[in-house]
Amino acid sequence: MKINQSIQEQNPENETLPPILIELRPGADGINTPDGYFDSLGSRIVDGIANRKGASFLSVAFPSVSKPLLWVPTLAAVVAVVLLVFVLPEKKAAEIPAVDEWTEIRMAFDASYAEEVLLSESHAVDKEIENMDLSYIQSATYTGKNEPTQDEISEYLKDLEIEPDILNEH
Amino acid sequence: MSEFTDNELIELFRNADMKHYAFNLLVRKYQEKIYFFVRRLVIDHDDADDVVQNIFIKIYKNLDSFREDSKLFTWLYRIAVNESLSFLKNKRIHCYLSLASPEAMMMKALQEDTHYDGTEIQKRLREAIVKLPKKQQLVFNMRYYDDLSYAEISDILGTSVGALKASYHIAVKKIEASVTAN
Repeated sequence: MKINQSIQEQNPENETLPPILIELRPGADGINTPDGYFDSLGSRIVDGIANRKGASFLSVAFPSVSKPLLWVPTLAAVVAVVLLVFVLPEKKAAEIPAVDEWTEIRMAFDASYAEEVLLSESHAVDKEIENMDLSYIQSATYTGKNEPTQDEISEYLKDLEIEPDILNEH
Repeated sequence: MSEFTDNELIELFRNADMKHYAFNLLVRKYQEKIYFFVRRLVIDHDDADDVVQNIFIKIYKNLDSFREDSKLFTWLYRIAVNESLSFLKNKRIHCYLSLASPEAMMMKALQEDTHYDGTEIQKRLREAIVKLPKKQQLVFNMRYYDDLSYAEISDILGTSVGALKASYHIAVKKIEASVTAN
């Protein structure tokens, strides 16, 4: 700061300062620092950079970690998708009533209506079973393969602490 | 120390082998200017120290991507302004949470500042500046203490020269009134 320069020289843009501010024109404005502050500032800044480098591995690997405005909505969206795709459908399926809400209410107030509904439901179940393809049962044959031997059965019963004589009872 | 121009420092910094050396030179070249600029805004030495360290860490992180559209020192000042204002904003929030007035807090910081040995009239000047709105404080400090031209301040603050002149004029009037009041 060139204290001794005239105000005109210091103010090429030709401002007029009040006398009090000209008198107080900086050079020494009373602000000071601890002894040797500027000698050590550089090394403390470099230490700070080194510390942050170590501490912010996560933010280097995943730069958006340090920007919650980016990752919070992303995380919320991911959670929402997981809930919608995996959790809620199962819950929904489990909570679907056999009959709709209004039918349930009417069933509660009208016994004959309830009987009718239940009958029609059981009728529907019967029909479903009738329509099922059960031909595979008829085509299934017993081959006797994979049957346990007498010894294996005896050993199994022994493990369960049951006398093997029980087999002879039948 | 200052035989290196800003452009030379940037070039050196971009050379991986010279990065730390260049950064050290840059810190030495600008540390006092940046410190006193920040200190006049945040008042307390320890706060200024924290802010200055953050400023230089930001500079270190971003100097590689500095595009040289503006001068290096106006870019440094811009970072200093942003960091200082962001610090003051956080401090203001703390003040509101502790139900204290931010202005009262600043005046208290002024009175308790152990690294200050100004005369009575200098203290009055300092108090008058602290009472100004932040924009006027910035313009006044840059113009009065740092001798920056309006064009440079305009580049730093992104405000038109006309608006800056008006801000400075109003700030000077308020300060004059405040300092000469007693």
